[in-house]
Amino acid sequence: MVAYFVSVLIGALLFPSLESLFERFDNRRLLWIAELRTPRLTGAMELVNALALSWTIRVLRWGTIAVLIYFRRWRHLVVFLGAIIVTEFLAYDLSILIRRPRAYGVTILADWQGFSMPSRPMAGLAITLIGMAYCLVVPGRQRFQMKWVIAGILFVLAAARLYLAVDHPTDAAFGAIFGVTVGVVAFRWFAPADVFPVSYGRGKAAHLDVGGRRGEAIVAAVGRQLDLEVLDLKPVGLEGSGGSTPLRLRVAGDDGRPDGYLFAKLYAQSHVRADRWYKLGRTILYGALEDEARFTSVRRFVEYEDYTLRLLQDLDLPSPEPFGVVEITPEREYMIVMEFFDGAVEISEAEVDDAVIDQGLRLIQRMWDGGLAHRDIKPANLMVRDGQLKLIDVFFVQVRPSPWRQAVDLANMMLVLALRTDADRVYERAKAFFSEDELAEAFAAARGVASPTQLRNHVKRDGRDLLARFREMAPEREPVAIQRWSIRRVLLTAGVAFGLFLAASIVVSNWTVFA
Amino acid sequence: MRRRLTGMAIASVLLAGCSVGTVRSQEATCDAPSGAFPVLVAQAVPSAVLLPCIRVFPAGWSYGGSDVRSGRSRFWLDSDRAGIHAVEVELTERCSVAGMSNVTASSRELGVLVYLEPITFRPYTADRVFVFHGGCVTYRYRFGDAEHAPILASEADEALTFVRRSVLVDLAQSDLGLTLCGAEAPPCVGED
Repeated sequence: MVAYFVSVLIGALLFPSLESLFERFDNRRLLWIAELRTPRLTGAMELVNALALSWTIRVLRWGTIAVLIYFRRWRHLVVFLGAIIVTEFLAYDLSILIRRPRAYGVTILADWQGFSMPSRPMAGLAITLIGMAYCLVVPGRQRFQMKWVIAGILFVLAAARLYLAVDHPTDAAFGAIFGVTVGVVAFRWFAPADVFPVSYGRGKAAHLDVGGRRGEAIVAAVGRQLDLEVLDLKPVGLEGSGGSTPLRLRVAGDDGRPDGYLFAKLYAQSHVRADRWYKLGRTILYGALEDEARFTSVRRFVEYEDYTLRLLQDLDLPSPEPFGVVEITPEREYMIVMEFFDGAVEISEAEVDDAVIDQGLRLIQRMWDGGLAHRDIKPANLMVRDGQLKLIDVFFVQVRPSPWRQAVDLANMMLVLALRTDADRVYERAKAFFSEDELAEAFAAARGVASPTQLRNHVKRDGRDLLARFREMAPEREPVAIQRWSIRRVLLTAGVAFGLFLAASIVVSNWTVFA
Repeated sequence: MRRRLTGMAIASVLLAGCSVGTVRSQEATCDAPSGAFPVLVAQAVPSAVLLPCIRVFPAGWSYGGSDVRSGRSRFWLDSDRAGIHAVEVELTERCSVAGMSNVTASSRELGVLVYLEPITFRPYTADRVFVFHGGCVTYRYRFGDAEHAPILASEADEALTFVRRSVLVDLAQSDLGLTLCGAEAPPCVGED
């Protein structure tokens, strides 16, 4: 069908004699249809044609935009807006390029605007409905059914517009096919369902659906590549994880050993992109506080985490034992598998005594000695099992970090420990591991972005001003500034500001599409 | 590969934009009565026996754009001295001439009655209305430069004229074998 329209378009543009043939053929169809007109049928068709009114389309678009904002589906929102602008822009330009007048020889019974091919109302409604299907309807059977409903609506509308002679048959078909094609291509390319699923749960955008074919692929890949039989897989700790999809795998026992659990993190292209945006945001807001170099692929992502896991094992730090990397889809999806601390609880729910406090402080001391920083010390990444503290999620570990970053790790660890005890007790224990000068530096460095969001939220909920209390106890120290200015930061900020301005200009200059 | 394809797609959109601009700049000229634009204008107001068009672009004047829809057709001209959208030409089926002066020449060329709205200065605004069988054309002059307004208005008048609808009807019949129904043509099929 698309090939037919492209060939008609090229033929009409290159060979004017074909244009008149085509024009006569199309107009004859309209004359036949016009013979069928009756007052009652005309009323019904005018009613159906209301679907193509700008107000109808506007309400549908704004409704969809409102839902997308409510559910914070920013990716879908951007693709939806972009697809609408591209469709309206191209449909208008194509109509100017093709320059086809309205129907000859027949009374046009509906309002129209501009040249007739492609039918812009048909294209506008088609892209809107397809956008709604991809933005609002859960993939699978429901979306499939929705596409048939859309096809039905477009068919009925096209029939009404032909009856009213406001479009030629090819105008209506071209408009509908054009709108549907732009929508399908835009959403499949820029918001694929397996990476940006539409769901109405409370899950984060970073979390991939691990059911269906992806789930089967994971089980098969783990079996083939790690020689482990996965009996069951289940997402875990989703609320504490924003950069990957954490999973618990139940694997079959071996040599008389019972079944056991492994922990896995599934990474996809979307996580690489999210990491890139996160680092760009940090660079703009704070400058190059630390290494903000971006990862270039999912493979590099998992390779780095595998390396940090092995590094911590070499230093005998209480972190998960790595089991290796599993390739799910080459260059697109990888999974890193590691030990699962079965029976461990997050430190915010565990009993924290002096032994646990000492383990936490010693952990930081040993990381300092090993030339490392964890960079994401927060309750969700500290587990306690049988009185033993475990450190998880080592993706952000940095080798040879700045002294500022190491100081922040210490402050964050002390805040986590104080949440379950009190600042005075933690500070007293810390003096056995760190000098007063080091403790003063830690709390001078721990400001704003330096602490992970989860930790800041816990401290806020706690009610006690733990940070102020630590600072009272530590020797006085000027706060460490976290703003770093460089030419790169200035250029990046200017570039992003320009990009935002450009995007806003595109939306504003195409405002009539929405308003 | 995907980036290359995206780049090609963007380039083709931009190129399409360029050619669209070239096509549009000539659309309302009188020497292209068989073109799609005059036909569209004729379809917008099928009762009008005359259709406005551009005879020639005086130095410093260029085509601004158009908006054609059922019941109304507009196009406008830009000027390097009078500014953008300096003159707008609108065709409708009917228009009000209340409060305007009848300045029709005694010859009443093509049976057209001409009316002029009182002129205002700073900015210079003036409307001239041409009333004829089945239609009405309004020239709206909006010049930022009031000092040279008479010269600019005269240039604009020189640029604009009318073409008879019957010319388009004949061309549609001879070129396409189709009827551009409406004034000076056989009746349309499916009339209420």
